[in-house]
Amino acid sequence: MTVLVVLTVIVIAALIAGLAVYLYWAGTLLDRIGAKLEGAAELVRGIVSDAELIGPGVEHINETGGVVAGALPLLYGMAEGIVAGVTPAAPRPEVPEVARPASGTRRSRLLASVGYRPELSRTYAPDSRNSMITKVTHRISARTIRDHGTRAARADRS
Amino acid sequence: MNPTEHTLWVSVIIVGFVVVVAVAALLSLLIYLIKRIDGRVDTIGATLTAAKANTAETVLIPQVATGVDAVLAEGLQHHLFLGRVLGKVKS
Repeated sequence: MTVLVVLTVIVIAALIAGLAVYLYWAGTLLDRIGAKLEGAAELVRGIVSDAELIGPGVEHINETGGVVAGALPLLYGMAEGIVAGVTPAAPRPEVPEVARPASGTRRSRLLASVGYRPELSRTYAPDSRNSMITKVTHRISARTIRDHGTRAARADRS
Repeated sequence: MNPTEHTLWVSVIIVGFVVVVAVAALLSLLIYLIKRIDGRVDTIGATLTAAKANTAETVLIPQVATGVDAVLAEGLQHHLFLGRVLGKVKS
């Protein structure tokens, strides 16, 4: 019977001791976890206070940046207008001379064939570039008429 | 003490040892889970510390907004200046 009593006491003591040890251990770990969670809560509060600045700040920057971006093309246009107004204008390119054939200008008989005399016209300009051509044309026309008259007289005589 | 009582007492002592072992096992499991929680709390703390370091520079955002406002004000001054110069150049 004494053995049974001792064993009973041992079982009860083991149960109590095991519960005490394990619960103390668990309590210690939970206490440490609680301290860590408290630090994490401080960090979260700090992050929240930092993040509260992001929204209004970014919105402000976005709004102001949009105004700046919208105004820059206007500034560019004004600056280009100033540059265009200040820069001296380059001389206009000369019109190249009309290409003429190397063989010279071909004589025209159209005016003479219809009896047109440019010297009687108001547009006649003897100093112009075509005056020599006009004179030659008239000379040839007169010769042609004279030859035609000579041939007609010969025909009448014959 | 008759044999029946003796047998019952012995049985109760055996059951008591089994209960002690079971309690020890369950408390060991509890300790294991608490240690896992402890490790994950450490991970969360490290992540929050990194996040706090990242968000610590957000105090510069209002300063940047003030700087952008200054840029806008300077741009308006440029606009006025270019407007005056452009009027003189065109005239």
